[in-house]
Amino acid sequence: MEPEAPTSEPRAASTVDRVGAAAALIALSGAVLLPVYVLRANRIVSGTDQPLAVGGPAAWTLVLFAVGAFAVALLMRGRSRERAELACAVGILASLAWALAHAASSLAPDPASPARVSIGLGAWLAMAGAAALWFAATRTPTDRTARTGAAALVAASWLAAGAWGGLSRLSILREYTLQANTFWNEVGTHLALVGISLGLAVIIGVPLGILSSRVRWVRTVSLSAAGLIQTVPSLALLGLLVLPLAALGLPGIGPLPGIIALTLYALLPVVRNTYLGLTQVDASAIDAGLGMGMTRLQLLRDVEAPLALPLVVEGVRIATVMTIGIAAVVAFIGVGTLGVLIIQGLGYQADDLILLGAVPIVLLAVVADAGLRAIGRLITSPGIRVEAR
Amino acid sequence: MITLDDVTKRYGDKLAVDGLSLEVGEGEVCVLIGPSGCGKTTTLRMINRLVEPTSGRITVGGRDIRSVPPEELRRGLGYAIQSVGLFPHLTVAQNIATVPRLLGWDRGRIAARVGELLSLVGLDRGAYATKYPRQLSGGEAQRVGVARALAADPPILLMDEPFGAVDPLTRERLQAEFARIQRELRKTVIFVTHDVDEAIRLADRIALMKDGRLRQYDTPEGLLDHPADKFVHDFMGVDRALKRLVRVRVDSVMNAAVPTIDESSSPEVMADRASCATQRFAYVIDAEGVVQGWFDCRALEGGEQADAGVTRIDWRESTVRPDASLKEALSRMLELGFRSIAVTDDSGHLLGDVALSGIEGAFSEGDSHIASAGTEEQRP
Repeated sequence: MEPEAPTSEPRAASTVDRVGAAAALIALSGAVLLPVYVLRANRIVSGTDQPLAVGGPAAWTLVLFAVGAFAVALLMRGRSRERAELACAVGILASLAWALAHAASSLAPDPASPARVSIGLGAWLAMAGAAALWFAATRTPTDRTARTGAAALVAASWLAAGAWGGLSRLSILREYTLQANTFWNEVGTHLALVGISLGLAVIIGVPLGILSSRVRWVRTVSLSAAGLIQTVPSLALLGLLVLPLAALGLPGIGPLPGIIALTLYALLPVVRNTYLGLTQVDASAIDAGLGMGMTRLQLLRDVEAPLALPLVVEGVRIATVMTIGIAAVVAFIGVGTLGVLIIQGLGYQADDLILLGAVPIVLLAVVADAGLRAIGRLITSPGIRVEAR
Repeated sequence: MITLDDVTKRYGDKLAVDGLSLEVGEGEVCVLIGPSGCGKTTTLRMINRLVEPTSGRITVGGRDIRSVPPEELRRGLGYAIQSVGLFPHLTVAQNIATVPRLLGWDRGRIAARVGELLSLVGLDRGAYATKYPRQLSGGEAQRVGVARALAADPPILLMDEPFGAVDPLTRERLQAEFARIQRELRKTVIFVTHDVDEAIRLADRIALMKDGRLRQYDTPEGLLDHPADKFVHDFMGVDRALKRLVRVRVDSVMNAAVPTIDESSSPEVMADRASCATQRFAYVIDAEGVVQGWFDCRALEGGEQADAGVTRIDWRESTVRPDASLKEALSRMLELGFRSIAVTDDSGHLLGDVALSGIEGAFSEGDSHIASAGTEEQRP
C-alpha cells in the first residue's frame, strides 16, 4: 500500500471549490425552479409568474453560465478556475439583464399602460448566486484589473439593456418614472446628510483620535462613549435625542437631530482607527525621529500621519458605508432621504417602491466602499502597502 | 568635546544614573558598556535630552545643553539606535535626508549628500536610494541607519547598540566598516554596547558602568591590564589574552613577502618557484592575482600526479581582510585547521599572509601591553 495514499485523498477532495459549486447551484435553481419575472396589471395587484423562456435567448445563456460555473467549480483548479468563475458570474449577471429586458418588453409592450414586470424571486436568487460566485472567485487576492474589468462589464451590460429599452418596463423603473423628481431630491438629501455627518465626524474624530493616542483619559472616555453610542439602535437614538434637544430649545425632528445621530455613529470608526493608526507606529521610528531633532508637530506631520493615514481612511470608509445605511432611518423624523421611499412603499404595500428606495442605497454604499478603498490604496506609501500576493 | 559633571537620573526610588562624571575628547570613540540596567542607554539619552537629568551638568562643545533648545541640540548630534527606526513609508534616500531636510538644505545639496553617504556605508547608490526599508536586510538597514545619523555631518555621533540586531558575521563586517569610516571622519562618538569584544575593538576609551555608577574609565588596554576591581576584571572576561588580539589588526603583523606561483604552471615549475629546498608553501594565484589555493612541496616527494600538490580554496571563505582583527584571523585558522591564513583585499587579490608564529610574535615582541600579557597573571 502506498503510504501517502491516505493523505493525498482529502487534499484532492479539498481542491474542489465547494463554495463556487454551491453558488452556481443557487443561481441555477433560482433561474429554473423559481419565477424570474412576474407580470402585474398595476402597482397594487399581485402578479402572475412567467416562464423562464419569456426572457428569450438570454434566458438560456443564463442557464448555460450557471451550469458552466458548476462544472468549473468541480473540475478546474487554481488561477484558471478563479478566472473562469469570475467570467461565469459576469455571464450570469449580464444574461439576467438582457433576459429581464426581453421579458419586460414582450410582456408589457405598451409604455403607456400601467402593466409592469417585477423582478421575481428567481432573479434575485440568481443575482445572489452570481454574487457568491464572484466572492468565491476573488477569495484569494487576484489582480485588480480582472475584477475592475468584470465589474465594468456587468455595469455596461445593464446599461446597454436599459438603453435598448426593455428595462424601463420593469416595475422598479416604472416607479422611478413616476417618482423621478422626488427620487432625485431624496438622493440629494441622502448624500448631503451623509456628507455633512461624515465631515463633522472627521473634524471631531481625527483630533479626538490624536488626543486619545496621547492622553490616557481622553482615550478611555472617547472610545467607550463612541462604543456605547454604537450599541444604541438608530431609531432609539433618534428618540433619545428629542429630550436634550428640546431642553436646548431645538427641534427634535428634521435635519438637525438626523445629522447629530449620523455624526455620533460615524465617530467610533474614525476615532478608533485614528487612535489605532497612531499607536501602531513603530516606537523606534518615533524615537529616531525625536532623536534626530524633529519637533512633536514635525513628527506627527512627517512620520505618524503618513503611517496612520491608511487606517484613518479605512475608518472613514466604514463610517461612510454605515451612515449611508442609517441615513434611511432618519426618514422617520421627517428628513427626505431614500428611506422615505421605503417607508411609503411599506405603507402602500408596494414592493417596487421599497426597492426604488433600497436598491440605490445598496448601490451608493457599494460605490462609496470601492471609491474609498481606491483612495486608501492611493495614499498608502509603497513602503507600507500590503501587496496582493 | 562632551563633559558630564556629577550627572544623576532618578526614576522614583531608583537611581538609573548615579553621580556620573565623564569627559570625552574630540575625535574620540567612548564606549559605554555594562550589564543591562546599568544606565548606559539613559546616559546616552541624557546627552541629546531625550532624557532630562535629575541633577548635574552636561556640556557639548563647551555649551551647557540646557541652554540649547532640544531640537536644535539633536540636529547637531547624529543618532543611531539598535532597532534602527527607519521610517517605513520613506525610501532609503528620503530616510537619509531627514536631518538635512529639517535643516532646510536645498534639493541638490541633499541629493548629492545622500549619494555620498550611501557610498560611504558601502551601498550602491543606484540600487538602494529608491528602496523601501522593508526591502533591506538587517545589515543593510543598519548601514542606512548609520548613514542617516551622519547625514548633516554632525561632529558628534550618539550610537545605541547600532550593530546589535544583526548576526555575528554581519556585525563583524559592520564594525570593520565603522572603524574605517571613523578613521576617515574622526567624529566624537558615544557608543553604547553590551558586547565586550565590540567595545575593545572600537573604543579609544571604555566607560564601564554598573548600577548607574562609573566603575572604570580607561583605554581598552587599561581595562584589560589594570582592572580597578574584581567586577571590572570579571566583566572583561577570562579570555583577556584573546581579547587583546581584537586590538591588533591583521596588516600590522602580516608577512607581505609570500612566494606565489601562477596556477597554470607545471608541478616542476611550481616546485621550483616555491623553492622547495627552503620552504614548503607557495600560494597559487590566477592571472589577476586572485588566490586560488596553495602548493605544498611535500606532495612532490610522493611523486604523485600533476595537480596533487595544489590545495584549492575559495578566497571568500578561507582568507581574511587586512583590517580584520588578529582574533578573527586566529579563529578562522583554528576553524579551518590552517597554520597560516592568506590576507586578501575585497576582491581576493593576495596581499600576504599571517602565520600562527606571527601571532605569537605579536604577543612576545609587540607593543608593551601585549608583551605584558604572559606575566600579568603571576602578579601578586
